[in-house]
Amino acid sequence: MVVVAELRDGRLVEPVREAIGVARSIGGAGATVIGVYVGPPASEGVGEFSRAGLDRVVAVEGEPFARTTSSARARTVAELLRELAPRVVLLAGTSEGRDLAGRLAVEWEAGVATNVTAVEPLAPGPIQLTRPIFGGRATQGLELPGERAVLALRPHTFPPAAASADAAPVERRAPTLPQVPVGAPTMTGFTASATGRGPDLAEASIVVSGGRGVKTPENFAIVEALAESLGAAVGASRAVTDAGWRPSSLQVGQTGKSVSPQLYIAIGISGAIQHLVGMVSSRVIVAINSDAQAPIFKVADYGIAGDLFQLVPALTAEVRRVRGR
Amino acid sequence: MEIVVAVKPVPEAETRLRPDASHASLDPEGVKFVLAGYDESAVEQALLLKESTVGSRVRVLSFGPAPRTEEVLRAAVALGCDSATWVEHPSDLLPDAVLSARCIATAIAGPFSGLVLCGRQSGDEEGGIFAGALGALLKVPSLGYATNLRWKEPRGQLTLQRSIEGGLEEVESSLPLVVGLQQAWNDPRTAKLPNILKSRKAAIEKIPWEATVATLGPHAIPGTVRRTFRLPPPRTGAKMIRYDSPQDAAAQLVRLLREEAKVFP
Repeated sequence: MVVVAELRDGRLVEPVREAIGVARSIGGAGATVIGVYVGPPASEGVGEFSRAGLDRVVAVEGEPFARTTSSARARTVAELLRELAPRVVLLAGTSEGRDLAGRLAVEWEAGVATNVTAVEPLAPGPIQLTRPIFGGRATQGLELPGERAVLALRPHTFPPAAASADAAPVERRAPTLPQVPVGAPTMTGFTASATGRGPDLAEASIVVSGGRGVKTPENFAIVEALAESLGAAVGASRAVTDAGWRPSSLQVGQTGKSVSPQLYIAIGISGAIQHLVGMVSSRVIVAINSDAQAPIFKVADYGIAGDLFQLVPALTAEVRRVRGR
Repeated sequence: MEIVVAVKPVPEAETRLRPDASHASLDPEGVKFVLAGYDESAVEQALLLKESTVGSRVRVLSFGPAPRTEEVLRAAVALGCDSATWVEHPSDLLPDAVLSARCIATAIAGPFSGLVLCGRQSGDEEGGIFAGALGALLKVPSLGYATNLRWKEPRGQLTLQRSIEGGLEEVESSLPLVVGLQQAWNDPRTAKLPNILKSRKAAIEKIPWEATVATLGPHAIPGTVRRTFRLPPPRTGAKMIRYDSPQDAAAQLVRLLREEAKVFP
């Protein structure tokens, strides 16, 4: 099996550890799990990767990779896969991993599935897996009959592999294919998001979202304060981002981001289907809304009806109190 | 600039989902299929680029069965796409994203030098695979999660932003390129009635399934097989917290999240 590394700011992202955990659990005791890293030189990140529970690591590092997007790296990854010949390649289901998955499926001629939330232990015959579809409103059981499979796993679904005390051997190779092919898209800049201080919306294990019920852009600060107390990411309904109170990158819903955190807290969000499809697969949903009849309470696990301008600051204070800060 | 938009008819958001008799897939009976979500953004972005560059044309393609695919293509024409191609498949075929990309690539045909736009994931199965697969098949670069495409005339460069984990990435590229669209900044336009009426009579190029099979040969089968389609147990509604004061409500909620739901850190 192969797990493809993804680094951000030179550090290994958490969903890659989850992918290594899945490789270990579906492969059984005798399986070899090889880590592949293709990207700019990153001794710290590759070092972390080598201690993340792998048997060995193959790293192809080149400075120009820093400017390219995943489609340029896909050729090098596919070339390594042809040589390493694994049955399954596991990717973190981040934007990077999902962009890569489609290209690898064609360049390495494999079956592909993304958003994977369960995989049966490998056995002779097709690979069996499960994934949410329709924004978590249904679950699909899928079979990959081919000899090769590329799976991108939904972040925060699987337990991460335990780090190993000893580093796996790292084989470093020089790139043999062009790192920036002629005409390839190149990165020219990066702006950290409004949620830059907290965890990212798509990856966070707790999300606190605000909606129209917050009433003004200034009031949205109570949503952000609760998120900060919980170490949560901030989300918003479409009403909030359309009105320009907060950037569209925070929008949760059909035309925004789909999230499935452990805990989703919806504040002043009525629960239009447009919003629900983006968060209904969250494990536990809490709704706080002034209207006790709001549809959000039908999908929530816990509800509080009442004045959110009193309830939310009280909740923030309680969270700070029990967490001792 | 040659602009191609690939779209997929998907059930409208309000659809009540139901498994079909085989329990392997959605029952399409009575479901209204529409141009929706990210695909709407792709069409909108294509039309905005067309309006801002001289001599551009937008061709919309869709791979799917009758009658939904033709309907969605007419909707795209009503919005302003110049030509439409329907890559047909039988209604009992359940293609995956890679097969869809192969069929659309076949219809694009020839060395491609333009821009392909699509949603960054489909509105039903949400795989996010199509753009990368199509790029690999056409042998051109691809990227997803894009917004705000602009064409810079003097050097013939496309600039765009990608909304990814941690922030907004600025990207510059020449053509050819395949781009999966995040939602548009603005609400996509809606079609005007005269254009809807006109689109009903628009010529739609149709590529029969047999022709696609002849081109693709052994690749004309899906690489994944759907086995089950399950609905989650219905959520029974929230446990409503009764409280004396906001402080009481907060304390009760934190206790429930800790002791009952076990999600509180």
